[in-house]
Amino acid sequence: MFVLPPPPPRYTIPVAYAAGAANGMAVPVVETNNTITHPENGCPLQVGEGTYILQDDLLLATPPPHPSEAPIINPNPLATLPTPPTTGVKLSLVTLDARKKPPTFLNSAVTAPQFGDGNPALAAPPVAAKDASKRRKPKNNIIKSSSSFVSRVITHETSAKRLGDRDWNGVFAFANINRAFQWLDLSSPTKEEHLTKVLFTKAHMLCHDINELTKTSSHLDIVMGSSAGDIIWYEPMSQKYARINKNGVINSSPVTHIKWLPGSENLFIASHANGALVVYDKEKEDALFTPEANGHSEQEIGRLPLDILKSVNSKNQKTNPVSFWKMANQKISSFSFSPDQRHLAVVLEDGSLRLMDYLKEEVLDIFRSYYGGLICVCWSPDGKYIVTGGQDDLLTIWSFPERKVVARCQGHNSWVSCVAFDPWRCDQKTYRFGSVGDDCRLLLWDFSVGMLHRPRAHQASTRNRSSIVVPNSQAANRHRADSGDNRMRSDSNETAKSSEDIEQMSHPVEPRSRTALLPPIMSKIVGEDPTCWLGFQKDCIMTSSLEGHIRTWHRPSDSVVKA
Amino acid sequence: MKALFSKGSKNGASNPPATAPPVKKDLQVPQISPLEKRLQDMGSIRADGSDKFYGMENYGNTCYCNSILQCLYYSVPFREAVINYPQRTPMDSLEAALAKNLRYQNPNAHLEAEALAAKQKASSPPSARQAGVPPNPNQKPEDKDSPEYKKKVALQTLPILETKNNASSYGMSESLFTSLKDIFESVVGSQARIGIVRPQQFLDVLRRENEMFRTAMHQDAHEFLNLLLNEVVANVETEATKQAFTEKALPPTESADSLGTLTPSTGSKSPNTTRWVHELFEGTLTSETKCLTCEKVSQRDEVFLDLSVDLEQHSSVTSCLRKFSAEEMLCERNKFHCDNCGGLQEAEKRMKIKRLPRVLALHLKRFKYTEDLQRLQKLFHRVVYPYHLRLFNTTDDAEDPDRLYELYAVVVHIGGGPYHGHYVAIIKTEDRGWLLFDDELVEPVDKSYVRNFFGDRPGLACAYVLFYQETTLEAVMREQAQENQAPTTAAAETGDAGKPNGSPFSPPLAHAQSASQAPPDNTTSSIPLSRIPTAPQLSTYPEEPLEPNPASPRTVQPPLPPIPDEPAPPLSPKKSDHQLRKERRAMEKEKDKNEKNRLKEQDLHNREMQRREADELKRAIEASRADTVDFAAENGSPRKSSSFGFLKRGSRSLSHRLTKDKEPRVSTSDLSSSPLLPEVVPEGPLKDAEPAQPVNKPVQPIKPTSPVQPVQSPVSSPRNFPPISNPKQPTQPIRNPEPLAKDQHTNNTKPGHTPRWRSFSFKKVA
Repeated sequence: MFVLPPPPPRYTIPVAYAAGAANGMAVPVVETNNTITHPENGCPLQVGEGTYILQDDLLLATPPPHPSEAPIINPNPLATLPTPPTTGVKLSLVTLDARKKPPTFLNSAVTAPQFGDGNPALAAPPVAAKDASKRRKPKNNIIKSSSSFVSRVITHETSAKRLGDRDWNGVFAFANINRAFQWLDLSSPTKEEHLTKVLFTKAHMLCHDINELTKTSSHLDIVMGSSAGDIIWYEPMSQKYARINKNGVINSSPVTHIKWLPGSENLFIASHANGALVVYDKEKEDALFTPEANGHSEQEIGRLPLDILKSVNSKNQKTNPVSFWKMANQKISSFSFSPDQRHLAVVLEDGSLRLMDYLKEEVLDIFRSYYGGLICVCWSPDGKYIVTGGQDDLLTIWSFPERKVVARCQGHNSWVSCVAFDPWRCDQKTYRFGSVGDDCRLLLWDFSVGMLHRPRAHQASTRNRSSIVVPNSQAANRHRADSGDNRMRSDSNETAKSSEDIEQMSHPVEPRSRTALLPPIMSKIVGEDPTCWLGFQKDCIMTSSLEGHIRTWHRPSDSVVKA
Repeated sequence: MKALFSKGSKNGASNPPATAPPVKKDLQVPQISPLEKRLQDMGSIRADGSDKFYGMENYGNTCYCNSILQCLYYSVPFREAVINYPQRTPMDSLEAALAKNLRYQNPNAHLEAEALAAKQKASSPPSARQAGVPPNPNQKPEDKDSPEYKKKVALQTLPILETKNNASSYGMSESLFTSLKDIFESVVGSQARIGIVRPQQFLDVLRRENEMFRTAMHQDAHEFLNLLLNEVVANVETEATKQAFTEKALPPTESADSLGTLTPSTGSKSPNTTRWVHELFEGTLTSETKCLTCEKVSQRDEVFLDLSVDLEQHSSVTSCLRKFSAEEMLCERNKFHCDNCGGLQEAEKRMKIKRLPRVLALHLKRFKYTEDLQRLQKLFHRVVYPYHLRLFNTTDDAEDPDRLYELYAVVVHIGGGPYHGHYVAIIKTEDRGWLLFDDELVEPVDKSYVRNFFGDRPGLACAYVLFYQETTLEAVMREQAQENQAPTTAAAETGDAGKPNGSPFSPPLAHAQSASQAPPDNTTSSIPLSRIPTAPQLSTYPEEPLEPNPASPRTVQPPLPPIPDEPAPPLSPKKSDHQLRKERRAMEKEKDKNEKNRLKEQDLHNREMQRREADELKRAIEASRADTVDFAAENGSPRKSSSFGFLKRGSRSLSHRLTKDKEPRVSTSDLSSSPLLPEVVPEGPLKDAEPAQPVNKPVQPIKPTSPVQPVQSPVSSPRNFPPISNPKQPTQPIRNPEPLAKDQHTNNTKPGHTPRWRSFSFKKVA
């Protein structure tokens, strides 16, 4: 027979994906150091106000696999074993410098009530008022831990000195990469050298958040959610930690997103891959979770947009969870708190955007993506708009007061992984936001309500049929001011909800011909691997990628702007 | 029946007691396969075939065929149309066929075989079936998790369904369509829910009629899909014409009408119209060309059966489709001949979708010609595909431009290059979730498994053809509400019945067999109950004694391909094609004579066209002989450019406009644009030529009914497959003449399957 030519070399795609170990790719065999490069004429971002200059590209080292977890390289690409979830690098940034705080657009001081305000069982025990500045720390030392969950902790040899010397107005960054979790000081001259690196045995941290309320120069409350479902409460200054939802006792599916409740010292929300949204208390012990009796009959489960398996108003608040809501059967991709701290925008793999009044534990509205799952969501700084990104390669701008889609933003060549507003370039009329995606691009967008136009004539809209439903009359003539909604639901066990209430505001998909289309003001390929996180700081834009590239662009100086 | 039964039991007895060895030896043998687990609580056998999950035997690199056939089977409207056109096979005929063709095997055969093999301690020769997949040195010969092992077991234990020509029972002559229908019907009519189909007859027909598939080599699944759909269209229309004539009930004009060439019978889903393939897979593309001199926009509509999109690293299917419709400048050597201002002008061109197909087959062009290597190379770009899709690139006047599609099947290519490898299909079934169809093996998989083939993961497995079917948001939401719920309820049910794997009594009967095959009672305790027959509705007794010879291990050695691969005689493939065509024409003429009263006029036309065609063919041959410049470039894919011969045009005619290549480059369309082609012919003449077509085209209602006869003798039809290792192999005297603009004309009138297809597009132009 014929001699076949050898298969051509595989495309040289970057191999050390963060997902490497999970996917059986080549991963480093030894622990390596982070590296930093300063691209010469890097990757300038040119926009109206000037040019953002790429300052540096910090590459986080992908850790080698744990000795006990040597990657089993399965030769069969069709192996049906599920691979554990993982994610690219995401950052949590924190600074104590008040000048670096983003501007707020809310005229009055936030007066949103605390979550679970009416529940005496949740009232904080009146402890330690004498020493308010002294924060409670987790119990276990992570360095000396014998836990099988934590593999080891690598502390920089001079980390104590670096911490002592540093400018306390600098920025700390916490980043996950593969099974490692790194603590970086971005204002240090040697910022590529981590302060501490925590290596977990098997689990990958998929999300993390820092409590803005409790941060001090000697205390940071960090929660992180893992691919195993476990949640770690970590205090880096003292190297203490606690493990919540241990071994998935409350919910064993991976934690996809985690956020401290705004204004709460102890409570945080974690979304899980099985569609559950769970409020935990960092101080409370776990207990085997059995759904508390709820009023919905079996058949209705999964149909109701929100299935309250445990209400915040439950009397049983001795243990976690504080509350447990099942939103859907699909993965919750992400969620975001409104600036007024009353609402929650949740995006799911099923393509829905669900707006919640989480204080009242109810879903107000459900919107649908154009198609495909939604991946990321954020609120405009004034709380008027919500932007989502998803598998339709689109960003979609939704008006919160009007409860409708405002515009779709076309510019990505692949799925959108992260979206964020730039509060320093937003005012009451115009908004700047940015997005990154699997296409390795960073896009910047400007929009003001006035400039949006209908790109297409209405000619086509009359012919639409089937999958696009004409907005139902109920949605059209609904005027429900959420603030004026004074219905109080004392308990989820109470089922005397009228059908009107259960009837959710499920909005149809707007046809393309009736939706404004917004082009980006800037689109740039910033790397060679999918970008998965984006953050705006007062002086820079930062992105991070699947493989661990953290890139920082400096904002154009003011003189440039004026000129 | 008694005899059969006793035979069955004797068979069971003659083989060492089926129960003993597993219990003693193989404690870890799974009592119930993952597929059977997924198929629990299926209820009674359905009539529509949606509950049948058959693997397909691989006869040596026929995975391209298996994967595509599976994708088509699980397209509900396609399956129904195939089964119901022209009518369902009468029950008795089907039963008789099934009785002959369905053969149950001893579910424990593999255990016995293993025991024997262990005795012999001889390792079987390495299987040649997945020649392209790099052999894995680490793999032990008896790795029970390996797909090879599982396939072997499946072949030994599952019911085997032969397919035989049953075309006469529904009044058609044997063709690719009828053999497809035979497969579908036997699967639908079978009483066993799982098993293995042997598509031997289908492959025989395929190979008899299509030279390029005659080798045992790796074939392109997308080309096969395109060929199959075209053939089905052709077969169905030939049949319709034949019936129209034999019935003599319809005047000729109406018979043309029944072909659907004049008025597309919209809306009607009745399989009695011949347009059902069109209605499912066909869409319309509009190419809008705007002359930059006079600003006039000229439009041309063309139909497509699938869309071939170019790929970019780190992109999405959405983006590839958008790029497909992006504006393209026609300038420099590729100017546009503007009818309005006359002469070649610079122009802007873009392709948009005017009519959306119900089933959207998306071909990701992963095989791209690279200049450096002088051959096709596989692109491992990461291209993400969502579970749902809408098309952005529609025209403003498109009907239902926001139509929602759902991904229902993915054909995955595994391997490093285009000339070897393996195909599998991952398919969303109606109510049993996603299944992996790997030849004989059918395994349930997670929904997320579908996303393992974006192209960036190790193992060289990438999605190659995506099938999206139309759906509605309501249906999607309904499905989402149930998603991830079923498993829990199923688990709960099995939990009630005891350990899901342990108790032989718990699994409902998933694997129906006829009662005659019931193993003796004493074996039931150890044989998985799921395999135990239910009361039969259909008697499907094997007529021949069971001879699964379970003792001798069925090696996975593929049977010899029906037509042996011998080196091609040094005859020009073109000439053979030519001869073949002449033969067909002769046959056609003969047929025409029989009906000459009616067909006189048309016959005249035919002859005229044939003459013209022959002339043009000659010209094309000469031209291509003369043209040696493009030779090397063309030969980048020797298989495709030579042995594909006239077949190639089939896929070309559809995909060439789907590719964004400039029109003169059409020949390389699905090989992606060949950068070497220096000759760029303006598309002006091309456009001029086409309007002339409709005049000639529709007057050829009679298609050669060649399928009935073995058209080719080994001598007259030498197969030409040059060694693929040598892309420059100069043994091909004739280059595929397609790049020449004038050949476009030739191609249109050749009696391949293409012209039949194109005729529709021309009709629409007119």
